[in-house]
Amino acid sequence: MEKRIIKKDALAGIAKKMAGDFLVWAPVKKEDNILFEPLQKGVEPFFPFLNSKNAPKNVFFPHTETLMKYTRTEKGMVFSADENKASDSVLFGVRPCDAHSFALLDKLFDQEKYKDGYYIAKREKTTVISLACVKPPYASCFCTSVDGEPVSSDGADILLTDIGSDYLAEFITPKGEKLSKYFGDAKADAAAETKKNEIVAKAKAVITSKIPAHEVKPILDKNFDNPFWATIHGKCLACGTCTYLCPTCHCFDISDEVKASDGVRLRSWDSCMFPMFTKETSGHNPRQSQKERWRQRAMHKFKYYVDNFNAIACVGCGRCVMYCPVNIDIRKIVEDISKL
Amino acid sequence: MQNPYIPYPVVVDKIITEVDTKDIKTFRFKFANPEDEAKYKYISGQFGELSIYGKGESPIGIASSPTQKGYVEFTVQKAGVVTTALHEMEEGAVMGIRGPFGNSWPLEFLEGKNIVIVGGGFAFTTLRSLINYMIHGDNRKRFGKITVIYGARTPGLLLYKDELIEWQKRDDLNLNVTVDKGDATWKGREGFVPTVCKEVAPSAENAVVVICGPPVMIRFTLPVFFDLGFSKENIITSLEMRMKCGIGKCGRCNVGSKYVCKDGPVFSLAELDKLTPEY
Repeated sequence: MEKRIIKKDALAGIAKKMAGDFLVWAPVKKEDNILFEPLQKGVEPFFPFLNSKNAPKNVFFPHTETLMKYTRTEKGMVFSADENKASDSVLFGVRPCDAHSFALLDKLFDQEKYKDGYYIAKREKTTVISLACVKPPYASCFCTSVDGEPVSSDGADILLTDIGSDYLAEFITPKGEKLSKYFGDAKADAAAETKKNEIVAKAKAVITSKIPAHEVKPILDKNFDNPFWATIHGKCLACGTCTYLCPTCHCFDISDEVKASDGVRLRSWDSCMFPMFTKETSGHNPRQSQKERWRQRAMHKFKYYVDNFNAIACVGCGRCVMYCPVNIDIRKIVEDISKL
Repeated sequence: MQNPYIPYPVVVDKIITEVDTKDIKTFRFKFANPEDEAKYKYISGQFGELSIYGKGESPIGIASSPTQKGYVEFTVQKAGVVTTALHEMEEGAVMGIRGPFGNSWPLEFLEGKNIVIVGGGFAFTTLRSLINYMIHGDNRKRFGKITVIYGARTPGLLLYKDELIEWQKRDDLNLNVTVDKGDATWKGREGFVPTVCKEVAPSAENAVVVICGPPVMIRFTLPVFFDLGFSKENIITSLEMRMKCGIGKCGRCNVGSKYVCKDGPVFSLAELDKLTPEY
């Protein structure tokens, strides 16, 4: 594997240089938030960030995306063949937990049957550069409980690790190696490796928030009707913040919009927290109350996804924990399930 | 590869108003591009997304049989935004269909067995597809006795009335049509589906029940078949859920770990017992 050393202050320059050649998504400061946005000329990427407020899943699975366009003509409605286009892109500086989410979303969108061309096209055209969490940023981080690590290349093509005055750049995949020319030519030496290994061990040790994520699967298998499910949702506002910020939540709606003779069919993020999500035309709703919706959310992440893809649909980023307006904590829920 | 989100353009070729309340119609579609017909290769029990530009999509079971070439039919009740727009369409209109989606009636499992079809009301559509498939000359010998028990609330609410008359004439199909309440001209059977099932009493020997209908009908009919000795493995039904994508991605039609759109809609009662009762 190709490994190089780059000066710490060179990082922003590399991102900006790439932005001259491709679409580069980089962390930028927007008011109080850090968001991954296409890097515009004259905008500085902001790398000393903790994590972005939004999960960067929108790079591959945009909040709203056009599936097709149509036009009213004399011959009736004519629709465009395919809107699924993507250009060469770089996602620069995502945290390892978020990069892990891409590997999880691949399992759903890139199944053997029914491939989702919109997601796959963007995924294939995008090189993911992860920025390791040398100091895990939040007390609510729990990646190590859900098959992640603060310094991990899972889901990434290039991994950058802060080793003091320099970054160690590791080119994980051939796709990552294609971008190596942007990273100067200082080869990494053994000392850099040693330094990285020390950092990996230290970073892991900092994460003290642990949840029994794997242990709850056999318990969930047997406890669909447990009275416990009635104890979570009491204060839930059904706002959907948890699902919108979640790196692995992938549920979407499909809707049509028309203006005069032109229309689009869109898909946009949806949420299992919303009462309308499963409501049928007849009025029947299989998930009648927030209780059933919360059970769905917990089951989907820790049982159904495991049943279908042999992976937990949670990366331990802690966003849902930090931003829930009523402090519902998925860590506590998993902990409680483990004691059922 | 075909993009599963993009509909095949179709022309509304024929519209048949099925019931006297006029809110259930059968739509016959022809593919605007004839080569699409081969791509839309379906099996009885599958469904499609009917796509009306500017309105949206609605998942509907396929009512025609793959043995009927040149078109595909859906029987649709007027209920929401999309189906209301569909009901306002005229012959010659252009719209779209996606699919076919889902598993299907388990034809291989049904082969060589006696088949008991039980339908109630509007839920008869994919059963009609299965019946027409099984009684087609190329397929009839692959199945044993075929018994059909079909009920509606009133004679005017029976679907496919002309076909029922044709089926009645056949000696290789035992058709039992019933209505909850007849009218002045009704000469057929009166009675609820569970009662008629008890009277017809098909043998459980090497037999499979395929049942679709309103939940209340199913609830009272299942015990009849259990009493006749049918096991849960040999009772097959089809589920409905709110759907969008049809390909197991949008995340709303799951029952436990299974997506009704992709892993269903057809399940045996034995399979349903293993799922969570959330539908």
